[in-house]
Amino acid sequence: MLLEKYPKEVKQILSKYPPEHKRSAVMPLLYLAQREEGYVNKAAMQDIAQLLDVTETEVASIVGFYTLYHDEKAGKYRMQVCTDLPCALRGADEFLNNLCANLGVKVGETTEDGLVTIESVMCLAACDKAPMFQTQGPDGIKYHENMTVDRTMELIEALKKVKE
Amino acid sequence: MSVLEPVVELVRGLGQTFRYLFDRPVTYQYPEQKREVRPRFRGRHVLKRYDNGLEKCIGCSLCAAACPADAIFVEASENTDEKRFSPGERYASTYEINMLRCIYCGFCEDACPTEAIVLGDNYELSFTDRRSAIYPKEMLLEPVPTVDMTTPRKVETGVYKRSVPEMKDPTD
Amino acid sequence: MSKQVTLTIDGKQITVPDGTLVADAAKLAGIDIPVFCHHPKLEPVGMCRMCLVEIGRPMFDRATGQIVMENGQPKIQFMPKLETACTNPVSEGMVVLTQTAKAKEGQKGTVEFLLTSHPLDCPICDKGGECPLQNLTMEHGPGKSRFIYDEKLHLDKQVPLGELIWLDRERCIQCARCIRFQDEIAGEAVLGFDERGRNTQIVSLSDPGFDSVFSGNTTDICPVGALTTADFRFGARPWELKAQASICTQCPVGCNTTLNTRREAKAGGDIVIKRVMPRQNEEVNEIWLCDKGRFAHHYVGSKKRLARPQIRKDEKLARASWDAATKLAAENFSASKKDFVILASGRLANEDLFNLKSLADHAGGRAILYSDMGGGDLTALVGVGAGTNLGKLGEGDAILVVASDLYEEAPIWYLRVKQAADRGAALIVANPRETKLDKFAKFSIRYSYGDEVKAVNDFGKKSKISDEFAKAKNAIVFFGSEGLGLNGTSAVASACADLLKETGHIGRASNGLIGVWQRANDQGAWEVGLQPEEDLAKALKGKAVYIVGTDPVGDDPKLAKALEGAEFVAVQDILETATTEIADVVLPAQAFSEREGTFTSGERRVQRFYAAVPPTGDSKPDFVITSMIAKQMNIVLEGTSVSVVFDILANSIEAFTDLSYAKLAEVRPQWPIVGRGDVYYGGTTYENKHGLGVQLVPAAQVGGTVRIPKVKKEAVLRPKEKELLAVPVNKLYDRGVTVSPAELLDERVGEATVSLHPEAAERLGVEAGARVKISFDGVSGEAVVKIDDTISAGVALVPRSMGIAIKEPVAAKVK
Repeated sequence: MLLEKYPKEVKQILSKYPPEHKRSAVMPLLYLAQREEGYVNKAAMQDIAQLLDVTETEVASIVGFYTLYHDEKAGKYRMQVCTDLPCALRGADEFLNNLCANLGVKVGETTEDGLVTIESVMCLAACDKAPMFQTQGPDGIKYHENMTVDRTMELIEALKKVKE
Repeated sequence: MSVLEPVVELVRGLGQTFRYLFDRPVTYQYPEQKREVRPRFRGRHVLKRYDNGLEKCIGCSLCAAACPADAIFVEASENTDEKRFSPGERYASTYEINMLRCIYCGFCEDACPTEAIVLGDNYELSFTDRRSAIYPKEMLLEPVPTVDMTTPRKVETGVYKRSVPEMKDPTD
Repeated sequence: MSKQVTLTIDGKQITVPDGTLVADAAKLAGIDIPVFCHHPKLEPVGMCRMCLVEIGRPMFDRATGQIVMENGQPKIQFMPKLETACTNPVSEGMVVLTQTAKAKEGQKGTVEFLLTSHPLDCPICDKGGECPLQNLTMEHGPGKSRFIYDEKLHLDKQVPLGELIWLDRERCIQCARCIRFQDEIAGEAVLGFDERGRNTQIVSLSDPGFDSVFSGNTTDICPVGALTTADFRFGARPWELKAQASICTQCPVGCNTTLNTRREAKAGGDIVIKRVMPRQNEEVNEIWLCDKGRFAHHYVGSKKRLARPQIRKDEKLARASWDAATKLAAENFSASKKDFVILASGRLANEDLFNLKSLADHAGGRAILYSDMGGGDLTALVGVGAGTNLGKLGEGDAILVVASDLYEEAPIWYLRVKQAADRGAALIVANPRETKLDKFAKFSIRYSYGDEVKAVNDFGKKSKISDEFAKAKNAIVFFGSEGLGLNGTSAVASACADLLKETGHIGRASNGLIGVWQRANDQGAWEVGLQPEEDLAKALKGKAVYIVGTDPVGDDPKLAKALEGAEFVAVQDILETATTEIADVVLPAQAFSEREGTFTSGERRVQRFYAAVPPTGDSKPDFVITSMIAKQMNIVLEGTSVSVVFDILANSIEAFTDLSYAKLAEVRPQWPIVGRGDVYYGGTTYENKHGLGVQLVPAAQVGGTVRIPKVKKEAVLRPKEKELLAVPVNKLYDRGVTVSPAELLDERVGEATVSLHPEAAERLGVEAGARVKISFDGVSGEAVVKIDDTISAGVALVPRSMGIAIKEPVAAKVK
């Protein structure tokens, strides 16, 4: 139960919104629920729905819409490469393909050691510095711009060390 | 008008008769002898099958809608992978054509989205009562190429998901 | 009247109320702007972009604020881009162009775009033939697509959202009509979008799936074949169906329906009902229908239908002629003289009930209504005034719901009351436990079971709630039978009538009392003079009984015993029941779908239904059978023409004066426009061509003083220690004879339950899901425990018609 696990945080989040609009607290609560495992599980969605007096479907709908919420377990870090048009024009597709080939995974898959999951996402608003991606992990969200496969592999090595 | 004229006419007429005496006869000794039909002949209907034996008919009832004589009756049911008749979700559980009503116009062929119903070359239709003029699906369906291809049959799950066959881009 | 605005659409000048959307204004002017996501009953969203038009507004001089004139006309400034007609409200002097090349190009492009991933499997799609996407593509589509055919996105094609509704994700065009319907109109947001962009898809995470009793309506307003009902899946093509107007028989709302029928090989070549669709009546059900009405029609085609008259010979029922059967019944009825009792149910039509009442009167017998709910005399007295429309209630009005769970008892009333509350009406829900309506109530009153009358009488005291109710412009009170028997409901009805009288909310339209009856025509039975009986067992014992349209033996062991001791039992019904098994004579009646007649709804609206399918076997309409029996008893009752019976009824019952079948069949134009040519706009609901019905005028509206009879309420039952107060509650999907033949609903009907407070459950040592035996008064039954912490610890809620014969609050033992 979310409320039992993080009573202080939940209370603090709920206090930010007027009680008649408490459904607005759904986004911060989802972040809270996602913090531990990197994804929002079904039980957490049910908890949030109950806390905010909305239906579970509505909560799931929000998780589904935003790319920063996940409803499936993945690697420790999610590497989200932007492949929208401007990025694609600057070689994002090629970058993504090469990166995947180097790591031996397909888009959407996790490396064997469970460290990174490669995802392709919509615009991250850094078109001028493509190819770029963001990492989403325990340390939050970070942008990595003007990337090459080599530099990415270096980054992954660094992330491995963090793990150790 | 001379008196000879009728005689000339008579001779000319008999001449015609005489000529046909040595011509190749056009009469067919039906039913022992049968005549080839033209490629676009419209005879008795056949419900076709795909090469794998599944029925092409998906029970959409468009033939019945197109039929100007209201000769076709279709009733659909749902396929399962355990008991599959046709690709996709829908198949014709009842398909009847009243051959007495049918005017062999071929509109049903035109309406069919899967090219399942085809007017064949069989024109030997005779019945002793009205009821036997109604051809059920079993009579209309093409025979299966091999026994293991009969319908309904059990198929692998999730293979035959679509009813309307994958067609080429119509603009190509 | 609100402010009016004049605008020009395609050169046609039209005046509409301020706030009207351009798309609706065009529809009013008879101009069709294509729409997909826009629905006149839903809030605009502008999701599909189908309604792109050119909109121009008069130009204002910035310096002076005056309209710029050009050649004596206001200069119109057009927006540089196309605008959506469904999100733009009209404004004075607006000019809308829907047919220009620019607008056409926009619409063409939208259709092309919507079809990028649409599977085009129209031949197997249940919507094919009445599909807005199909129609609008033919009318506004480009004919050719520039998108690459092989790049169509393929999604799941067969997704059951619940056991009633199926989703085809490929066909969905993401208009969100279904999601918005559930959210805005039903108030149950059980549908949502998952993911985004091209991958957007409908999901439902509720348990059971698509947990709403209004789910079928989403298939009506879905502009494509994405949502279809399990009931009609591949059942027939829409153009093959015949349509006949009817009235739903499942609850007292009296929803207008259309029965779609077709001859079917599966049914052995019979003409059968393939689906039940709503028929527009903005004063009754608007364009909606609940799932019970939509899916529970299968009983009329049940294998258990009675087809031939039967007479008991040597302990066995044997086939007999109509003549012999009616003669035998008539002889016995005549012989018993004063001991002749008719037991009729509110499932029958007005004409049937009238003939039965006439027979009882002429023969010197008695006609009893089979019901455990009283107060029908009061609804005739202070019922809602003629011209009442729940859809017009709003700001400044009040609705009080007492002892009723409208969601379970009359879903469409729930829907309309909820929407009235959304429009600003003060909704007051007084119920012993929380119901779904509480979420939308301004005030919720909780009382304990047994204190219903007190709760209503408390409105006499000064409080915020009673003030709000008293000051309301219009006020309507719904009373039901939650936790109440015949005496209890009569007392509550009387208290409610008093309250309405005290506050002056009687004798006017949109004011008065509505009974949430258990059967469709209970109100009609009261109108023709039938009343329920407190001690039914006593009234039946030793009598010659003529049971029509009910199953007392199956319902209640006590009545079964009483009927064993009856002198003679004639049963007239449509289905084989436990009662027909003990009958001396069985008379097969026609179902509502096989004949004509009228019903009187809870709002006292008399509405006609029509014959849609041929009768089963030798069955006859109820009023005909009654007249045949009457004839054998030398009593003359009309038995050929149902409209003549109605004319006689209208002549002899004051409330029905001046009514005739012709009058009931009158229609007026309704808004929104729905129907076959306009399926893209209002959905596949049928337009009403067969009559909107006429609301009866209550006595209070006619004038004169209104005297409300006092009902003495029996003392509240206090169960002993180790006993619980078992109270009856109503469940939508029950095991009634008109529901159980619909196999599709089996899962939703479920098992008999008993709801207990957690404390009570703990005291009894049972957990949720445990099977218990509940016994009272010589009746016992098994039920599954449900835990409900909104009820009090001393009660056990037992649903009616679920196999446990509960009629009124009783002290019960639960083990």
